[in-house]
Amino acid sequence: MQPSLIQALGIINCAILKRIEGKQFRVIHCDKDWFYSIAPEAKDSEVFEFAGNSAYLDDFFIDAEEFWRNSSEGQIHSGIWSEQTEDQLLRLEALAAVSNGDSYLVINNLEGEYQKQRKTLQAARELLISNDKVLAQHEYIHERLDQVLRENQTLQTLQKPIKRVIENADIGVVITDAQLNVIIQNPNSYSVFETSDLPSEASPFKKLLELFKNQCVEFERVIGTSSRWHGELFWHNPPYSSKWLKLALYPVTDENQNLQHWIFIFSDVSRVKYLLQRNEKLNLYDNVTNLPNRQFFWQKLEYQIEKAKPFFIVYLDVKHFKQINELHGHQAGDQILVTLAERIQQCISTKDLCARVGGNEFGIILTDCKEQNDCVEVANRLIESIQPPFYTASKQKVQIGLNLGAAHFPSDASNSEDLMKFADLAMFSAKKEDKSKLCFYSIELKEASQYRLELESALKDAISKNQFELFLQPIVDLNTGQVAKAEALIRWRLADGNLTSPDKFIPIAEQTGLIVPIGKWVISRATEMLKVIMQYEPELKISVNLSPRQVADRHLFDFVTQAIDHSGVPAKNLELELTEGVLIDNYDKVKLLLDQVRNIGISTSIDDFGTGYSSLSYLQKLPIDNLKIDRSFIIDLEQNENDKAIILAVIAMAHSLKLGVVAEGVENQYQADFLLDNRCTVAQGYLFSRPLPFDEFCELLIAKKHANKN
Amino acid sequence: MFQKKICLLGPSGVGKTSLVKQFVEGTFSEKYLTTIGVKVDKKLVDLAVEQVQLMIWDLEGIDRYCGFQPKYLRGASAYAIVTDHTRSQSLVEAMEIHRMVREVSDIPAILIINKSDLDVAWHWTESELNGYSKEFVRSFSTSAKTGEQVEDMFKFIAQLTLN
Repeated sequence: MQPSLIQALGIINCAILKRIEGKQFRVIHCDKDWFYSIAPEAKDSEVFEFAGNSAYLDDFFIDAEEFWRNSSEGQIHSGIWSEQTEDQLLRLEALAAVSNGDSYLVINNLEGEYQKQRKTLQAARELLISNDKVLAQHEYIHERLDQVLRENQTLQTLQKPIKRVIENADIGVVITDAQLNVIIQNPNSYSVFETSDLPSEASPFKKLLELFKNQCVEFERVIGTSSRWHGELFWHNPPYSSKWLKLALYPVTDENQNLQHWIFIFSDVSRVKYLLQRNEKLNLYDNVTNLPNRQFFWQKLEYQIEKAKPFFIVYLDVKHFKQINELHGHQAGDQILVTLAERIQQCISTKDLCARVGGNEFGIILTDCKEQNDCVEVANRLIESIQPPFYTASKQKVQIGLNLGAAHFPSDASNSEDLMKFADLAMFSAKKEDKSKLCFYSIELKEASQYRLELESALKDAISKNQFELFLQPIVDLNTGQVAKAEALIRWRLADGNLTSPDKFIPIAEQTGLIVPIGKWVISRATEMLKVIMQYEPELKISVNLSPRQVADRHLFDFVTQAIDHSGVPAKNLELELTEGVLIDNYDKVKLLLDQVRNIGISTSIDDFGTGYSSLSYLQKLPIDNLKIDRSFIIDLEQNENDKAIILAVIAMAHSLKLGVVAEGVENQYQADFLLDNRCTVAQGYLFSRPLPFDEFCELLIAKKHANKN
Repeated sequence: MFQKKICLLGPSGVGKTSLVKQFVEGTFSEKYLTTIGVKVDKKLVDLAVEQVQLMIWDLEGIDRYCGFQPKYLRGASAYAIVTDHTRSQSLVEAMEIHRMVREVSDIPAILIINKSDLDVAWHWTESELNGYSKEFVRSFSTSAKTGEQVEDMFKFIAQLTLN
């Protein structure tokens, strides 16, 4: 090749060799001495054979020879390597090429390219390492504190080692009580804010809380709902300094889900920010997902608002992400976020923007969405996109759900802060659902959210204030009219004397985890009641409903056995009711629990049967005693032939599986007769009795007993 | 004299290049300079019965910017996975790299916990560490800065290549 042509093609600083055979080559182009330092045998001879001075190049020959032998066109690369010669360190890359039947080896000297690439990678990797250290410290301190605080409600007995960890931590740690009064503030929290513990100086925590309140629209929601949060704050202290702080706050609750403490963990991440700023891309992009970051999102949101055209923002949060992280590890969690980010981008248009605005939270600006329907369509696509499972690096399958909240510009809000705040509120409302859901912001939603917060707060105190009552609804033998069993149903009497419907408070209890202590109260109370009832009816059973969250509680069985032992009632007088959904979602746990309770003599029923997706095989495999036909089939029995057919099928299925069958919601004689005619002999409903307070239920039993005697 | 290839793998910033530099040149630099691609160094190791010419392949740190490339292990007689005991995550990543290597190769491996001159800042307990170490022929606590255990570690790995 002509040197002028090589220069014209921009091929500089390389050696071009034409292969003759084996490792024998003819030098086509080489005008720099560096090549002869790795192949001195090529000096002064047009044809030469590589003598094996470079181990890396020798290794590449294995791939290259196969390529030269089998390919008719194209090239393969060796990857960059560094070669230390006597007097210099070379940055090289080789490529094997085939063109018009001839084989070539090109060795590029990439010194300039290498330095450029190193500059970028250097910044990116320093950032990764710094970030890693901060995250690891936050994680560690949080895990240790969370565990210790759960076990030591008063902090008086805080173990020495953990005290030392807090005192010596390189990051700020503040522990407060539920009302945000500081209990512990470690020395480093003073250093972060460059302050001392003199009374004249504002406390670090006060400054921190102020920043959080002023800079994060999520503040009210996070504190009001005792949620965890992490993100970044900017502390400006003119004229002396300014810092970027990474803050993570975690609520600590007791076993009754009452908020006991807050843990605030924060550190100076200015160095990480500095490293980010050295690279513009890294500064505005999230380094896990490669999506724009929170700052970028705010800038774009402001810009979009300035345009004054209607649009929607969607706040997206991954359901139960904390559990995913705990179960599969943070790396797997990150991998899921990366895949999710890719899937989100496929659901939105190129004009839209998706950014990672928090740990497991994404913000989406839908610039072309003007109507709610447009936004619903995008949400449906997002929900559909997460149906295929996600996989961790160790090939474990993970299924996720989404909470989506949307707010509209300008009808919901005309400034960026309110828009984000409202979308966040709508997202929080979507969290109530088990399945992925989109909620739109509205005034009603805001009021409902307020009402819910009040209800939740009151619910937390309900047990200690003795506001729950357990009503019993008789379950009747249709042949004899006798009370065969009773279903325990909880009622909540508020301070004003009014009863709150379980439909209102049970979902909140389930969602907040309060259902676990409430469920325990129900079991304890039911066994106490049994003790009294057995004086009149020694064989009568009380059935107690179990929620999904209770079933997931690994201490449930121990608690049930304790309650039975404590009350002294036989286990056979207690029955547990589970819904179909619990069976499917928690099969392994349910199987274990049902086996355990069967072993000690407790019977079980499947509640609301027919409304879920029970598989026949589940019913066969699990130790179940009864099916309860859901009230929705009984209500329209007279008019609806389909309902009749379903009831008959359930009765037949129960009989063939040798299970008992109970009908719920029986309100008239026609329904009772139909059931009896078709061999369903046990039922409950207003036809026989509404749920009764305990005293009234006992009176009913006594009255029945007297009536029988007469 | 035998010539044996060994590979140093691990997350970025754990000190792979510094270990090689300490072993081959006896020098150390505090400044972190990221490696791109591969650098091959040679050093003759005198064992009691044999001399081994170690070809040490120092591979670019495996992270989100650089994936694991199994082809670099071709012809290797052993490998070392390097971690940094000031960074918890480096052990998690190291074990992931080890798992990937194990999918393509069954040559012997050692675990290097580097930066022993610095205070331990990871939170793995002794028993957790022992659990991880079990997957390796042996583990070494090294300092590329002071040279602690560096020579011993490379001698051990040279011996390993002969077994």
